[in-house]
Amino acid sequence: MALLCGSTSVKFPSSSAKSSISCPKNGSAKSSFVGFQVALSKSCSWTSLAANSRRNFQVRSQDLSVVPLDERWMFEESEVNGPDIWNKTWYPKAADHVNTDKPWYIVDATDKILGRLASTIAIHIRGKNLATYTPSVDMGAFVIVVNADKVAVSGKKRTQKLYRRHSGRPGGMKVETFAQLQQRIPERIIEHAVRGMLPKGRLGRKLFNHLKVYKGSDHPHEAQKPTELPIRDKRIQMTR
Amino acid sequence: MNKDKIFKLAKGFRGRAKNCIRIARERVEKALQYSYRDRRNKKRDMRSLWIQRINAGTRLHGVNYGNFMHGLMKENIQLNRKVLSEISMHEPHSFKALVDISRTAFPGNKSSVVLLEKKAFQLFYEW
Repeated sequence: MALLCGSTSVKFPSSSAKSSISCPKNGSAKSSFVGFQVALSKSCSWTSLAANSRRNFQVRSQDLSVVPLDERWMFEESEVNGPDIWNKTWYPKAADHVNTDKPWYIVDATDKILGRLASTIAIHIRGKNLATYTPSVDMGAFVIVVNADKVAVSGKKRTQKLYRRHSGRPGGMKVETFAQLQQRIPERIIEHAVRGMLPKGRLGRKLFNHLKVYKGSDHPHEAQKPTELPIRDKRIQMTR
Repeated sequence: MNKDKIFKLAKGFRGRAKNCIRIARERVEKALQYSYRDRRNKKRDMRSLWIQRINAGTRLHGVNYGNFMHGLMKENIQLNRKVLSEISMHEPHSFKALVDISRTAFPGNKSSVVLLEKKAFQLFYEW
């Protein structure tokens, strides 16, 4: 298996080319996260990258056979064999969740049921669909929603669902129906729905910024090359 | 003497809790109680995290956590959740093999319901 070779080649430096011992295991771990097709291609490019940077330096683990017996206690397990990935639960390092490497997804909200759409979006933004999910770290993706003004709701919610907000002063409750809010600020409907499904707290507020909602069908994020959001819910499309 | 110990444990606390002994003593007592409780909670939280990661990993292959574990139990594979979650992250091909083993052992509730209905239908017609 290509990945077995990847994980045993601990001695090779990762693409960041920093001479820290923990890097190689991290590099091998990183290449295997993205699913098997991509992982295979990544490991091919990775070994060629390793061949190039091998000329500059080599990351070594401490070889205990050259150390005299009475000094061997000085070296830690991780310095000798590399970090232990099987007995310690993996926790992402900073390089595992840089915003520039996260995938971007796009979804068209036309005639999609509001709640079901918001649920799928929230799952992808939080990162719960990934095997590397960590609750304290932002591992999710960015999601762009277009045609937000055409989102659908079932039943009589269009005229009966109320959106409330309070200004803080007595008697300051403002109530709007779904239809009125869709007339006024259509993006807020999807934002409100998704915000209710993301965790509340510092991390939740940061995750909310990864949602981009637009009224029409064009968006300014062409440079991020967004892919289609994979939706597994069969009842998300409003059938008339 | 005891004050020094308390202040040593109160490092990093907010406001006067790290400087003033009366407040620091209360906060340190609470902190020690929390750490006692959380040494037990950590085991629960870790297991919950492993289960969430395994769930996400198996759903990529179209199987949910419940059916996956049932299939593994049927095949008497005794890998624990910690190791399964690490496999799902670091060795995706091996994990896919495990999911396939589980799927052959236990294909899932829906298909078994369909099979039962088909059997009942056949019996009805034969009678």
